[in-house]
Amino acid sequence: MLYIHKASCISPQNTFNNVDLSILMPSFENMLRAIEPGYEGIPPGQLRRMGKAVRLGVGAALPLLKDSPQLAGIILGTANGGMEDCIKFLNQIIDYDEGTLTPTNFVQSTTNAIASQIAFMSGNKGYNITHVHRGLSFENALQDAMMHAIEDPTKTYLLGGVDEISDYNFNIDFLLGCFKEKFTSNDALFNANTPGTIAGEGAAMFLVGGQKENSLACMHALSVLTSTDERELKESFAEFIYSNNINLEEVDVFISGENGDRRQDNFNTEIELAMPPEIGIVRYKHLTGEYPSASAFSLWLACHLAQGNTAPAHMVKKVGAKKTCRNILVYNCYQGLQHSFMHVTS
Amino acid sequence: MTKVFVTGMGLITSLGDSVVENRNSLCSGKSGITSLELFKSKYADSLPFAEIKIATEKLKEILSVDSADLTRTSLLALHACKQAILDSGLDSSQVKSMRTAIVGANTVGGMCLTDELYKDSNSKEKGSPFLASYDAGSVTLFLQKHFGLKGIANTINTACSSSANVIMYGSRLIKNGLADRVIVGGVDSLAKFTINGFNSLHILSKEACRPFDKSRQGLNLGEGAGFLILEKESLVQNRNVYAEVSGYCNANDAFHPSSLSEQGDGPFNAMKGALDLAGISTKDIDYINAHGTATENNDQVESVALLRLFGTVPPFSSTKSNTGHTLGAAGAVEAIFSILSLYHSELYPHLRFTDPIPETKLIPVQEYEKRDMKHVMSNSFGFGGNCTSLVFSKV
Repeated sequence: MLYIHKASCISPQNTFNNVDLSILMPSFENMLRAIEPGYEGIPPGQLRRMGKAVRLGVGAALPLLKDSPQLAGIILGTANGGMEDCIKFLNQIIDYDEGTLTPTNFVQSTTNAIASQIAFMSGNKGYNITHVHRGLSFENALQDAMMHAIEDPTKTYLLGGVDEISDYNFNIDFLLGCFKEKFTSNDALFNANTPGTIAGEGAAMFLVGGQKENSLACMHALSVLTSTDERELKESFAEFIYSNNINLEEVDVFISGENGDRRQDNFNTEIELAMPPEIGIVRYKHLTGEYPSASAFSLWLACHLAQGNTAPAHMVKKVGAKKTCRNILVYNCYQGLQHSFMHVTS
Repeated sequence: MTKVFVTGMGLITSLGDSVVENRNSLCSGKSGITSLELFKSKYADSLPFAEIKIATEKLKEILSVDSADLTRTSLLALHACKQAILDSGLDSSQVKSMRTAIVGANTVGGMCLTDELYKDSNSKEKGSPFLASYDAGSVTLFLQKHFGLKGIANTINTACSSSANVIMYGSRLIKNGLADRVIVGGVDSLAKFTINGFNSLHILSKEACRPFDKSRQGLNLGEGAGFLILEKESLVQNRNVYAEVSGYCNANDAFHPSSLSEQGDGPFNAMKGALDLAGISTKDIDYINAHGTATENNDQVESVALLRLFGTVPPFSSTKSNTGHTLGAAGAVEAIFSILSLYHSELYPHLRFTDPIPETKLIPVQEYEKRDMKHVMSNSFGFGGNCTSLVFSKV
């Protein structure tokens, strides 16, 4: 069993220093950009060279590494890593016709740069890996950490999910039809009834391991599916509930990855219909926007709620019958293809 | 805990488009490092590359696929993956089982189409057919769809050690009971992105590379794909088994984004960890397929780490002297070469070696040799300090 001991999150909302979800920070031109902190603890010379994804990842990780036990490794999920640097280097190649280029952007753009930068800064010589399976990048990192907790329950790992908005991925995903054609503010995301969503970014980091003592939450079960078929989704969810002995009557809250894209509503509805009516439903994509590793934010949110915090009204889709929030189901769907279910308890 | 066996392998590199062709090339000391004929780059005349001399359109024809969004990277992966499945004798229902996982690796995905990507990322006009084909995950997602895979699917990117990590990760999925079989592999095709990236770091050699040689001048970029089928012991029964995946370890050097520490702690810890997991000592390793990129830094540090751990270093070579550095494919390609050595009891000649590095004096295998072996090691180290070593054992 994987236990979460600490959690940290840099997002477009007030989640980093003093967590306050009651005020919804607004989106701008269909983008929710992360509120970047002062990054205390990163030497200014190093900070200047870091691309945004690296800054977000390192910045969210550092508070967890202070006064923590020796880490056995770093396990990250990111679909694209440092795309800002990638595009800068790409533009140089074309603009200077493969002339003499500077390597900084190239080195920063490798997808594994975030995990390796955290290793350098903390002197961590342990396991170090970056999972990049698009909308299931974080889920695969989580699966990796869950295996480690079984392989050696005494060890502690840094687990995280990071992705950034760059001109590159925003443009490409826009051309793919992922984002709304008209500017839609995030407070109206779920009422727009149009195709597409809004873009987001963020980093959520966790200290995890096999020891239960003093944990925030327990990652009880995880399952993924790649499919465009809602019947398959329904079967997969039923199988997830059955094979992990989850009693739906005991679930307090369902965290939905609903993102305002009308074309994905059928999947979210399918899962909502499979729940008993008294379960409360909480949404968060109007806080974060959509990005491939947004499910890392949903796990941070699950830990936050499991600590006794309540979700403000703008996040509540349906008020649940129960006052407690110790048994949480999370569902996410990325681009109508990659689905994941998580069961978190405390 | 179950053992994990390799039951199928598939390859395409500059040495040939099958495992058999690659083995023949290795036996005869063939080099795939030549001039560019197909790939367009400003460096075509000044730098050698290990290019696969099959055009992208021809690959589509060979593989009977014809989708506009397919990149060369996905096609090379499909080619090697198809061979590996065929070689293992898996039928369609086994491939499509919920208990069959896939773990792929690459470093730049569809960014081999650097010019198309430039247009797509900088314009608000209509996009190219490749919009969903640039990210690393796109290659594995294509294979999932093509073969109708239903189990766990993942893509890993740890730079040049990426596809050593997929063999490790796939083995762990089986040992943890999350899959019975795992299709694992790595791929990368030549890209302006990596050519210019490595060139900006001044580590591309103007001549065919000379790993572990005193006069080495850097690496040559190559392209390729290697896929393996890993299965849990109980499924294998009377079928052919190439090797057991007996040891693996991933460790970070935690020193510098693009070079290894003088003492080589990352390589040392990765090799030591892999031996410990296999439950064997340094004396038991019969051959090491070194990372051996032929850069000043790698070969020096890898030699130091080898000497630190082994004292007397067993026979070793770098097959990058044949294939160039295939980046995200290198770990899987070289794992297959290591397994071929073990399975056929033979060592392949390392090319273009004349003088050892003065400080470390290590001399690679330079002649074809028949030799019975029990355990072989394959090293893969990458940018970001990402080091992984694998141990394969005779079954």
